Amino acid sequence: MTNKDQSREMPFRLSRRQLVSGMASLGALAGGPIRHAFAQAPKRIIVPEGDFAPLPIAIPNFVAGTPSDGEVGVGVTQVITNNLKRSGLFAPIDQAAYIEKVVNIDAPPQFQNWKTINAQALVTGRMTRQPDGRLKAEFRLWDVNTAQQLAGQQYSTSPEYWRRIAHIVSDQIYERLTSEKGYFDSRVVFVDETGTKERRVKRLALMDQDGANVRYLTRGSDLVLTPRFSPSTQEITYMEFGQGDPRVYLLNIETGQREIVGNFPGMSFSPRFSPDGQRVIMSLQQGGNSNLFVMDLRSKSTMRLTDTPAIDTSPSYAPDGARLCFESDRGGKPQIYVMPAAGGPAQRISFGEGSYSTPVWSPRGDYIAFTKQGSGQFSIGIMKPDGSGERILTSGFHNEGPTFAPNGRVLMFFRDPGGNAGPSLFTVDISGRNEQRVPTPGFASDPAWSPLLS
Amino acid sequence: MKVDKTLVASVALHVVVIGWGLVSFSSKVFESVPEDTLPVDIISADQLAKIAAGMKSGKKENPKPLVEKVAEAKPVEDAVGKITEKAPVVTDTTPPPQPKPVEKPVEKKPDPPKPVAESKPKEEPKPIEKKPDPPTIDPIAEALKKEEKKPPKPQVQATTPPPPQPQKPKERTFDQSKIAALLDKRDPARQATTGETLNSNAALGLSKGKAADNSATWGALFQSQVERCWKKPYGGIESQNPEAAFSIRLKRDGTLEGMPIPEGTPATPYLRVYQESALRAIIECQPYNLPAAYFDEWKYFAPVFTERKI
Repeated sequence: MTNKDQSREMPFRLSRRQLVSGMASLGALAGGPIRHAFAQAPKRIIVPEGDFAPLPIAIPNFVAGTPSDGEVGVGVTQVITNNLKRSGLFAPIDQAAYIEKVVNIDAPPQFQNWKTINAQALVTGRMTRQPDGRLKAEFRLWDVNTAQQLAGQQYSTSPEYWRRIAHIVSDQIYERLTSEKGYFDSRVVFVDETGTKERRVKRLALMDQDGANVRYLTRGSDLVLTPRFSPSTQEITYMEFGQGDPRVYLLNIETGQREIVGNFPGMSFSPRFSPDGQRVIMSLQQGGNSNLFVMDLRSKSTMRLTDTPAIDTSPSYAPDGARLCFESDRGGKPQIYVMPAAGGPAQRISFGEGSYSTPVWSPRGDYIAFTKQGSGQFSIGIMKPDGSGERILTSGFHNEGPTFAPNGRVLMFFRDPGGNAGPSLFTVDISGRNEQRVPTPGFASDPAWSPLLS
Repeated sequence: MKVDKTLVASVALHVVVIGWGLVSFSSKVFESVPEDTLPVDIISADQLAKIAAGMKSGKKENPKPLVEKVAEAKPVEDAVGKITEKAPVVTDTTPPPQPKPVEKPVEKKPDPPKPVAESKPKEEPKPIEKKPDPPTIDPIAEALKKEEKKPPKPQVQATTPPPPQPQKPKERTFDQSKIAALLDKRDPARQATTGETLNSNAALGLSKGKAADNSATWGALFQSQVERCWKKPYGGIESQNPEAAFSIRLKRDGTLEGMPIPEGTPATPYLRVYQESALRAIIECQPYNLPAAYFDEWKYFAPVFTERKI
């Protein structure tokens, strides 16, 4: 099909308003000072507000450097393709459409063959088994139209970590083409739920952000809730109903070491790490009320942050550690408040209809995500830390527990459709455009995203 | 077998008519030639004015003044020999005439009617004022009530003709039948601008002003074509107002003569990605199908990719 044919079939995307504004700007530019300053400057044609569109990218299977590595090459390619596709920012082209088969990644590809299938970016790679048994991965990212290499890297690792290699390569591609930091090389801890609704077994589980490599961290004899990842270390903190009052625990994922955070009278719950991972902030029950306390994990010293006859809970630090947001019903319905991390007056930031809970400060610092409850619906939304720019990303019967990806661009939450079915995990980007279900072995709730592994 | 003649006639007629119809109404396949779409855009009067407006600083193609008629060579006048005295300037508002009519009315009451009554009889207004005076004195006599009534009657009869007359001069008479007299009967005319050489162009600027700027037409075509290929990178919801400008040269066939030259270096990683995406779009979407008539305009131009609300 020629370009001319396409142009006839393609719908005219510009709206009249855009055209008029474009033309008005044309007039303004032509008559403006720019024109006078550069008499020889070419005519400026404004191409305004193009629609956002995912980038068409071709990812042919990674070449096997050694004969036995064809399978892992295919696996890596699939993981990368899946990652980029799920991000919503890329449109991987079906391999069946490929004209050229990449054999040698050291020679530049025939870009015309990739142009023909409308690819704008091309990833070529190779997996090679080293003499010492390690796996070497190489990849190159090409710009098809300008015939330039945009990125190229090589990594080596133990063969069993090939998925991580794929995630790291995905992050490289994502970062180079979107200018945002990637988030694929990360994990998610969540509460795995099995059994009937009456006898639900809840276990802590850990998986890659794409749902692979699920691992269980607790056995399910005790009820666990609200796991939270440390923003800087591979540790999690969570609440567990043991014998007696629920307690906040700390668990090192790598070593399996587990300890109770403090020994307080009454219930302690909704813990979260400080940005440096050195402190845990949580709610302590005091009669019918609860207040916020922060505990230094090294010195075990505890500091009270709030003292109100209300329920203050779900604290979350800003990434710079200077402020924190939390949920409180001191004004009647639960709302979100922001206060200095060292204590001090709290300022209410949520003023919409309904009640707001589970605030989470983005690792980028630009937004606070929350669960909003009102008019029979649970919604996940974000707002700026000053309370402005509220935006609902998804809403329905029951959506809860947002957690940010390490780049602050994507949120994970759980959704319960109601009825006999159980909850499952979803991701949505902060524009609300791209919602994806995260595969889990069973029902899943309360996700918490880890920081980047590398 | 007896054949019904009418039936035969009917059948024959039907066959003839239908047969004729089959031949003459033979369905020719309608071939619609696909035509290139012409983008039509509605612009406001303001925008049209803007497009059609001239530029004061524009290139002056034609510095000569307008000349419609070649004038006869004027005799060179000897300016030195023709010295005349400067005549006193006479203006409409020369003071002497006005004070006079003003002063007179102050002195004598009956005078003001004079200028007004110049066209009409002067004496008539006076009797009106004078005659009413005696009646005011007359009523002193008690028995003369009847007599008073009598004299006024003749007075009224006598005076009735004058009163309307002085009123007329106060109100301007407007005679509809005489409107024609007020009109300028001369044919509308103007004098030809003369000069040594004929020059039909009245404007100082180029004969084609900005109105010949067809970039609205081919620019929109370019926009629609390049947008197909533009995969704008997702910059999140906090827009940085990105803008990426290039200068590009196109060949007659709509392909790029060389690589587009970006204007400036992007300041942030996002702007770099934004610029790269626009560059990819320009390259991928060639050749551009732009109207050949305006090749001179689009052979070299600067597409600006932007999200700025202008």
